Amino acid sequence: MTGRTRLAVSAAAATLAASCAMLPLVDKSAWILQAAFLLALQSTVGALARRVPLARPLTVAAQALVTLLLLTVAFAGEQAVAGLLPGPDVFREFGQLLQEGTEDVGRYAIPAPATAGIRLLLVGGVLVVGLTVDAVAVTYRSAAPAGLPLLALYSVAAGLGQGGSGWLWFLAAASGYLLLLLAEGRERLAEWGRVFGGRRTAPPAPGPAPGGASPGPVRTGRRIGALALGIALVVPAVLPAMESGLFEPKGRAEAAGPGGGLTSVKPLVALQDSLNQPANRELLRLRSSAENTRDLYLRIVALDRFDGASWQTTERPLTELPAVLPTPAGLAPGVRTTRIDTTVTASAGYAQNYLPLPYPAEEVRTEGRWRYEPEGRILTGERGQTTRGVRYQVASLQVEPTAAQLASAPAPPEQVLRAYTQVPRSLPPVVAQTARKVTAGSANAYQQAVMLQDWFSVGGGFQYDTQVASGTGADAVARFLEAKRGFCIHFSFSMAAMARTLGIPARVAVGFMPGTPTADGSVSVGSKDAHAWPELYFEGIGWTRFEPTPGRGTTPEYAVAEQAPGAGPGAAPAPAPERSAAAPAAPQDTDACPPAQKKLGECRPAPGQAGGGQSSGGPSAAAVTGIAVAALAALGLPLLPMLWRRRVRARRLGGPDLHPDAAADAMAAERTLAAWRELTDSAWDYGILPDDSRTPRAAAARIVTAGALEGEAAASAGRVAAAVEQVLYAPRPRPAPGLAGDVECVRAGLHAAAGRGARLRAVLLPRSAARLLWGFARRRSAAARRIRTGRLGASWRRAGRALRAARPRA
Amino acid sequence: MTTYGEPGSLEDPATHAEPGVGGDLTTTAERIRRAVESVIEGKPEVVRLALTVLLAEGHLLIEDVPGVGKTMLAKALARSVDCSVRRIQFTPDLLPSDITGVSVFDQQRRDFEFKPGAVFAQIVIGDEINRASPKTQSALLESMEERQVTVDGHTYELPSPFMVVATQNPVEMEGTYPLPEAQRDRFMARVSMGYPSPEAELRMLDVHGVVPPLEDLQPVAHAHDIVKLVEAVRRVHVADSVRRYAVDLVTATRHHPDLRLGASPRATLHLVRAARAAAALAGREFALPDDVQALAVSVLAHRLLPTAQAQLGGRTAEQAVLDILRRTPVPDPSAQAAWRQARRL
Repeated sequence: MTGRTRLAVSAAAATLAASCAMLPLVDKSAWILQAAFLLALQSTVGALARRVPLARPLTVAAQALVTLLLLTVAFAGEQAVAGLLPGPDVFREFGQLLQEGTEDVGRYAIPAPATAGIRLLLVGGVLVVGLTVDAVAVTYRSAAPAGLPLLALYSVAAGLGQGGSGWLWFLAAASGYLLLLLAEGRERLAEWGRVFGGRRTAPPAPGPAPGGASPGPVRTGRRIGALALGIALVVPAVLPAMESGLFEPKGRAEAAGPGGGLTSVKPLVALQDSLNQPANRELLRLRSSAENTRDLYLRIVALDRFDGASWQTTERPLTELPAVLPTPAGLAPGVRTTRIDTTVTASAGYAQNYLPLPYPAEEVRTEGRWRYEPEGRILTGERGQTTRGVRYQVASLQVEPTAAQLASAPAPPEQVLRAYTQVPRSLPPVVAQTARKVTAGSANAYQQAVMLQDWFSVGGGFQYDTQVASGTGADAVARFLEAKRGFCIHFSFSMAAMARTLGIPARVAVGFMPGTPTADGSVSVGSKDAHAWPELYFEGIGWTRFEPTPGRGTTPEYAVAEQAPGAGPGAAPAPAPERSAAAPAAPQDTDACPPAQKKLGECRPAPGQAGGGQSSGGPSAAAVTGIAVAALAALGLPLLPMLWRRRVRARRLGGPDLHPDAAADAMAAERTLAAWRELTDSAWDYGILPDDSRTPRAAAARIVTAGALEGEAAASAGRVAAAVEQVLYAPRPRPAPGLAGDVECVRAGLHAAAGRGARLRAVLLPRSAARLLWGFARRRSAAARRIRTGRLGASWRRAGRALRAARPRA
Repeated sequence: MTTYGEPGSLEDPATHAEPGVGGDLTTTAERIRRAVESVIEGKPEVVRLALTVLLAEGHLLIEDVPGVGKTMLAKALARSVDCSVRRIQFTPDLLPSDITGVSVFDQQRRDFEFKPGAVFAQIVIGDEINRASPKTQSALLESMEERQVTVDGHTYELPSPFMVVATQNPVEMEGTYPLPEAQRDRFMARVSMGYPSPEAELRMLDVHGVVPPLEDLQPVAHAHDIVKLVEAVRRVHVADSVRRYAVDLVTATRHHPDLRLGASPRATLHLVRAARAAAALAGREFALPDDVQALAVSVLAHRLLPTAQAQLGGRTAEQAVLDILRRTPVPDPSAQAAWRQARRL
């Protein structure tokens, strides 16, 4: 195996080793085989291209092209032209797959199912990184920077993955990179010939060295690499301060430490903590019979007392957990309900003395000492009972009232009103004023609730921000209404407080919003899913969830503001003009996008507003124009040399002819030299290479003989050469007239003497167009020189020196 | 692929005869050339080079195997110009004083009298110069470069024009002393006669078999014609780029991997002077890079010392010069401008 081949193999192996770190992200590992196969093909193409040898950029381009073809065959074979060539359909398919993949990544918890989109992301990503590594390490022969794409690959995997056996993947990725560095080092050493290991430290008895022993520097390199790897693995495990690093031991990760989960009995404090934790940790895993888990909020506790300092849970007597829980308060028979069964497993790291339940639960089957609080329908652990590792089954109701039912809800009972509309005297009046202002024009409590919710989530200009201090007092509500920055606690507390000022019974639920579906159909609920939301009471339906926090959770069906009049027979219409008049702070929305969709960022321009684009799924006019322009450019590119050549010729031979008596000024000299350049370039176009070591006379003679020129054409060539000699060497140059005609005559002669293929080539693909490339190269190197010598270059060099100094000398 | 220094590459189209230089010069030179060529059959390029060296005030070294007409060329050149000619047959026992002259004590006048040596002539033919000892060879040094002879503290001017035409045998190593580098450097050009073509040899048999050709050769030009020609040659214009080209070529010999010793600055001087003469002979009032190219091998090769490796590999100094000619670009106007700038800095 030659050094180059070894390097190429090492580069592919390093990429593959780094991509192994992504294995735990997906439930099936077959994609890595596909990626490995395609990567091998890509590397082979690179090796062949270097063998040819192609220019470096061409090598990379060839690899990129092959990569595209491979991806086309693998992922969009049906859309491809002839099953192989990527057409517009293929790119559309790629776009769609990538979009699906991105959505899937957002939707599924780890390990995600290997959907086509995710597979394209994985395989495509590995191939792109592989191409970069191969180009940097092998084609451009600088293996050290190739670590950056590898690191990027590993970082993505490490960032998405969850602790566990991360050290194994790190070992694989780092070993791959070290392998690459060693291979490069070997190749560099080999360029100097055979490498001797140098004198051994303990000279043994004289004898032949063991066969196949590596040269000394390589051996040392290996030792250093292995040592560095060992240190990287061992030191974080030993140092206590680094236990939250990359390689957190499993045991520690699952121990209930201070940051290990919602351990606090004060859920609110823990809520912000867990939202601000860098890593999302799975707390619960549930499997539900519900068709749609989007509404499956898990409630820990309800905060029903607002005393001005905070929202709190009223201490109420607990009872034994009944086999069947009583019917939820206020739920009338006419409302549609669906019974769903959910099995929840709490992780061993999650210790909480309230049991997270869907609302309203009807039956709870669980082990352990749990007691029931009927008013809030809360299960509380007794005598140290926590959720740690608990597995339980819940039967709950999915209440789906219609907007009409909510709108026509009668007034709540007196004791509910009294208990749940209390606001502290210290509540600033601005809260009630804002509530009235926002809900101005509403016809009933339901409309008020929806308006409040939409004002918070869409129209009010609020921003979700978990870094805001979680003040919960009465003043905090006013502050939040002014600053308009906060997270679920602020939104839910404020909405509940405002609803209370409007006379709607309200409380705040704390728990989890719906988690992330995983590949096996279960739902993973993590620490980042911790949430708080307001519950408003409507007689006949009971406690009803609303979702004022922008970008979090899901807005329930019934709380989506109806735009179309007559959504329900009894629905009080909420005309848009009134709404916008009622909410002056809201931007004037002219589109028909419902606030709930807008909240989720799902609003797209209406078809009529898309600049006349097609409303069906086809490409837009802009895309068509872009493709057309690109196609024209692709077609025009081969004509570029011809067009350039024509322009140059016109410039060189154009202009008025020189008068024989004209003074030998600089312009005459310039014109003569231009004619000469045109002559040599024309000859070049017909296959007569220019030769710097020839004098004008010798060059003209060669053009005459090689181009088989005769008669007038040969004489013309001689005249041009003589004119050039005059200009270049004579003390008083005599201007020669008619040079442009002479050059044209020579061209005609060359054309006549050349074969058909040569003529065609001279016109379509003139060889002298290489000067165009040379010009580019010259300009580029000049620019590079300017950068090197300029200020930018100085700072770049300084940075480079600093880096070199920081790098250990291996 | 044309080769450099090939015969006839100095041939100019008739349209290029310059009014300023042409006229007398070309006709006189042409007469001499014809006269010499009537003796030396089928070697126009050698004759032309000999004439070029004469007009460039240089000395000519003719090197070849015995019997190809080295001495004949030297004598023919000397005979066709009406001037004083001396011939020195170099032998191992030749003394320096035989060349430069010697002071003899005159009994009657009771004083030393200087008896001029063989070098006191306008054309000196040094036959088989490498058969003399280095000491004797070196006696020529001063006279060749400074055109004067110093004996016993007295300096004697040599007549003008002054040209040394030396011959030497390369293969006959027995009894020969190689010319020292300093001596070789003083020759403007070295030329090899080469064997004549069969036709030329046949013609030679016809002519030379009957009458010794030199006998019939009459002088066609006078010494002062030559002096005038030399004056005209000095006025030939050499553009900056052509000088630059000569410098580039000579510099390249100093860096060529096959060469142990490159050419001296004197070689540059000789090259440009010879180019001037060649341009004048072609009827041009300015020198071309073509002139430099055509003369480069003759002017440079004999001054260069190939490395031992090159000698083992059979690579000669001539090949090195041809290689340099192939690699060195002829200065184009932009390079000329760059050079001017560099010189100004």
